[in-house]
Amino acid sequence: MQWAVAIAAFLASAVEFVEAFTIVLVVGVTINWRSSLVGAFAAAATLAVIVGTLGVALVQFVPLDALRLVVGIILILFGMKWLKKAILRYSGMKALHDEEAIFEERMAELRARGESIAPRLQPFGVAMSYKAVLLEGLEVAFIVITFGSSAATSIVSKASGITSAALGALIAGILVILLGALVRAPLKQVPENTLKFIVGVMLTTFGTFWTGEGFGVAWPLSDAFLIVLAAIYLLASFVLVTWLKQVKQQRIALANANATASSTREEVRS
Amino acid sequence: MKVIKAIYDFIVGDMVILVGVIITVIILALLNTVSALSALRVASGYILVIAALVIITTTLYCETHGK
Repeated sequence: MQWAVAIAAFLASAVEFVEAFTIVLVVGVTINWRSSLVGAFAAAATLAVIVGTLGVALVQFVPLDALRLVVGIILILFGMKWLKKAILRYSGMKALHDEEAIFEERMAELRARGESIAPRLQPFGVAMSYKAVLLEGLEVAFIVITFGSSAATSIVSKASGITSAALGALIAGILVILLGALVRAPLKQVPENTLKFIVGVMLTTFGTFWTGEGFGVAWPLSDAFLIVLAAIYLLASFVLVTWLKQVKQQRIALANANATASSTREEVRS
Repeated sequence: MKVIKAIYDFIVGDMVILVGVIITVIILALLNTVSALSALRVASGYILVIAALVIITTTLYCETHGK
């Protein structure tokens, strides 16, 4: 057992597992757990096939940067779509006759009546969960192979190094899943639009980060820059919500002024 | 055509976001491939973040002022 390799792989893999699990968790809470888990298990199966087929040659055959770029761009597109809707709802600008809102209201009514809602598979949720788990899982596989291989010396064999790294990654994965199961319940208390707002910010954050990595950007602070990115998008979103609220108030004031003016005109005529 | 529309609606459903992201990706790809622009390559990350903020602001502006 190579403890140094196992600890290094544990720490590096934990970061990747947290990233993947965050998306699985938010998809589960905001869309449904069925879609989230189907996506995650499908990605795990794909990963098993890739790793089983390519083995340690995976590092040479899988173009991780290209994959990061594709997943990153799709996440930015998804993320901005969610963020836009959430900002519009928060500012009160979202159209009243919104099909999605009507559907959500109906679901809330059903829940209030105590009727069970069969969770349907949502393609968006499955795709989101699948992409995140596949990409991060591949990154963990890269960590295990590269850390394990680099530990190989004349005394320590390559297989021993990879086994130690895999063990470190496995423990990290189990810990992250356990931690996720603990935060699942408190997350249910958070209002739905707030969760959707957080999802929008997170998807845009991960999307920006991975697209940048796909283009070879070396982010300052490495993976910790995700927090900085999330803070930037969060701050920008609050500014945008404030701006849109002001726009809405100005429109209401203008409509009121117009209504008063027209009623005054009618009174003068009569 | 229906298939393309369905994919478009599923992934983004917003022309401003789609065009904005495509333009940003093209700019970043040019920075990474054209040697004359290599000096700007270090700014790729900042360009990406600024572009994302501009895109979200523009789409919200179009949504609220365009109708």
